[in-house]
Amino acid sequence: MTSTAGTRKELKPIRKKGFFATLGGQWQLMLMSVPMFLYVLFFNYYPMYFWVTAFQDYKPKLGVAGSKWVGLKNFEWLFGRADFINSIRNTLAMSVINLVFGTVSAVLLAVLLNEVRQRAFKRTVQTVTYLPHFLSMVIVVGMAQNLFSSNGSINDLLMGLGLVKEPLFFLGEGKYFWWLVGVINVWKEVGWGTIIYISAMTSIDPCLYEAAAIDGAGRFQRILHVTLPGIKSTFVILLIMNIGHLMEAGFEIQYLLGNAQVLDWSQTIDVFVLKYGVSKQQYGVATAAGMFKSIVAILLLLTANFVAKRLDEDTLI
Amino acid sequence: MRKILAALLALALVLALVPAVMAEGAAEPITLTVFRGDPGDQPTADNKIYKLIEEKFGVTFKFEYLAGDLDEKLGMMIAGEDYPDLFDGGNSADLIISNGALINLLDYVSPEKTPRLWAHIEPQKARLIENVDGVDTLYIIPNYGLPDGPQIALSVGGPAFFLQKQVLADAGYPDVKNITLDGYFDLIEGFLAKHPTREDGTPYTGFAILCEDWRHFCLINPVQHLMGRPNDGEVLIDVNDPDFHTETFINKPYAKAYYKKLNDEFHKGLISKDTFVMNYDQYIAAISSGTILGMFDQAWDFGSATSALIDAKMYENTYVALGPVYSEKDVEGVAMPTENWKIEEHYLNGSLPNVRRGFGISTKCADPERIVAMWEEMMSDEWQLIFNWGIEGEDYSIDENGRLTMTEEQYAHTQDANWKLANKAEGFTQSSPKKQGWIMNDIQVGDKVVKAGNCWEPGNQDEIVLGLMNDYDKEFLGHYGYSKWADFVNPPIELAPFGEAWQIDYTPVDVEHTDFCAIQDKDLPEIIMCDPAEFDAKWDAFVAEIEPSAKVFEDYMQEHVVIEAHKVLDNK
Repeated sequence: MTSTAGTRKELKPIRKKGFFATLGGQWQLMLMSVPMFLYVLFFNYYPMYFWVTAFQDYKPKLGVAGSKWVGLKNFEWLFGRADFINSIRNTLAMSVINLVFGTVSAVLLAVLLNEVRQRAFKRTVQTVTYLPHFLSMVIVVGMAQNLFSSNGSINDLLMGLGLVKEPLFFLGEGKYFWWLVGVINVWKEVGWGTIIYISAMTSIDPCLYEAAAIDGAGRFQRILHVTLPGIKSTFVILLIMNIGHLMEAGFEIQYLLGNAQVLDWSQTIDVFVLKYGVSKQQYGVATAAGMFKSIVAILLLLTANFVAKRLDEDTLI
Repeated sequence: MRKILAALLALALVLALVPAVMAEGAAEPITLTVFRGDPGDQPTADNKIYKLIEEKFGVTFKFEYLAGDLDEKLGMMIAGEDYPDLFDGGNSADLIISNGALINLLDYVSPEKTPRLWAHIEPQKARLIENVDGVDTLYIIPNYGLPDGPQIALSVGGPAFFLQKQVLADAGYPDVKNITLDGYFDLIEGFLAKHPTREDGTPYTGFAILCEDWRHFCLINPVQHLMGRPNDGEVLIDVNDPDFHTETFINKPYAKAYYKKLNDEFHKGLISKDTFVMNYDQYIAAISSGTILGMFDQAWDFGSATSALIDAKMYENTYVALGPVYSEKDVEGVAMPTENWKIEEHYLNGSLPNVRRGFGISTKCADPERIVAMWEEMMSDEWQLIFNWGIEGEDYSIDENGRLTMTEEQYAHTQDANWKLANKAEGFTQSSPKKQGWIMNDIQVGDKVVKAGNCWEPGNQDEIVLGLMNDYDKEFLGHYGYSKWADFVNPPIELAPFGEAWQIDYTPVDVEHTDFCAIQDKDLPEIIMCDPAEFDAKWDAFVAEIEPSAKVFEDYMQEHVVIEAHKVLDNK
């Protein structure tokens, strides 16, 4: 009886609270988000003010107010240069290679690890594969330079197996560069990439596996019909986020591994900006390139999100 | 009792603090932030020379050394106006000057206020003091190149074709003065034919070419020296021409002969592909291992490798600096820069003030006057002796004739990087104004006197150069009848009125210059490695590709070589 009365009380029509009342009611949450809000304000929004310098011949001495306005000259200069166009191509190409290699290898390794029943082995493999993530890129590139040099282990191996007649010039020929970056990134990040997929797999209901087994599904069929669909939403979310980062092909690896010989294939937008923007005090040009990058990134993100929505998947926005 | 104890303790504390504040009366302790435009290591906390500086001047230093690329670092500092007190912009000081990061030292340096500093720069003031819009300016007092007394040239400190001593020894100590380009490579080929590998089986590399970043001068600069000029950077200048005809040499027909030669040597196996993708650390490691027989470089650029070889007592793997030039055959029928051009070996140049290199004082420095006053005091003979030679009795001795001497161990210390971090103040002194050359006056040190006629730098002092030379080197020089390593090349020529053209500030054409460099860095290795049948076509394509940026750079340099030259000529 009492419970009925209680229920009735709760069923009173909910009075819609005003915005500020809600805000006041959640002041603890608001307080907690203040640091993040300030962070975004100062580090993401405030710098946007300096986008105006993309239209200036910006001199730090003179500041934004004192620098000369030049209209679209910085953009014209950028897009008039063949090596900037090359750097856009290189950025996108290496990003796509990294994305495909990185995702495929991470999913593959996660699935394999998920099938391993022996805990000790699984843990060991996991640890060994994600340790390189913590190495500095300088060290990784140093190792790669030794491995891939004309008298390095990789060439010794290829020669030993009789696959090539003379050492391949991995570090000095442009055609190898993108793939080299892809391979190095996979080696460095594959273990790290599996973590999120493995955690997604642990949340798959074990009943599904049992049911599938009872229905006569073998190991591969269980992977195909239970595991992979189980991580699909994680996969899509990550994919959308990564597509938003396509313009960030990385900077360190190209900067460290690249040399004059492979410049046409190694220079990314970031390296270009550093070389012609920051080093040569063409800050306006640097900003223009950054602006271009941001706009393309936003477009890519929205497109990916739109496609995912059409495919009726979970989306980011 | 307890209270008394506490009071005493408090008093003791206060008293302990007082001397720290009171020391040196007026000199309130300050810490100066220092940026050095080259890589280096932090001194130890108990470094004895910095301790002396702190006691005398109340000044301590906080060093930041360059990590990564200089222009990028400076670009970031300029964008944020984030300047240290003492600012050494390295080879790109022009950038920080043109962006107004440094103060004009002439507000503080004058014959009255700072007689020692003034006397130091006075002989070269035409070159150092620049009149900008009616105002005399001096932003940086050169860190090197203002020596006292006649020029000392014991060894080649700059550019040369280097050759391992064992190559000459193996060939029976042939005469290598006035050697030709072919002669140089013949020596290496001859050695490699006899000894393709070291005794332990490691293969020798005939000739290494470092092409990394700004150190690509190893790839590019040789042409001007083969044409008979000392180092003018990326241009060739006719000093006998009243108009100082200036041209970029890399795209001229006479440059082709050198790269053709390298192409030949590449196909003979003297040059390895890997040399073109090598970074500086790998290059130094390769030289230190003793397997690189020869290279074109500047001696200071691989100094650490030389030290490593000496430490390991691999004297036969250390290098002699040679000065090859083109033979007549090499440049037969090729147009010379000017009509009366004569190819004569001149690798050594007259002593050159290191214009716009060293510390400047930034606009963010609170008390520039104090730094200048400190430099002035430090230009005294007593301080210079401490900076150059160290502490008497510990680091060196003064003999009964007033000569400065070091034991073998003491001299070895001065070559030991770790020892120096604790016992030398190089982070500061390397970029500060300093005395070089000859000690001109007697110096009283305790109860002893250092006589005039000693050298400021231990490495130039006869007692050390000859007295402490290892037996291998003594015997080696003996075969030639030479007394010093510089005898392998011609004596220095007179410094041209414009100095050396690599010092000229080219920031206004920086972007074109970057393009100019990028094309060379990419194309020249390809040209060296290409099929000989394609060589001519590749060379022509290179010349055509580089023409636009080379032209801009060449015109700029021509104009400014003349301006620089007239600064000195008009003051005579």
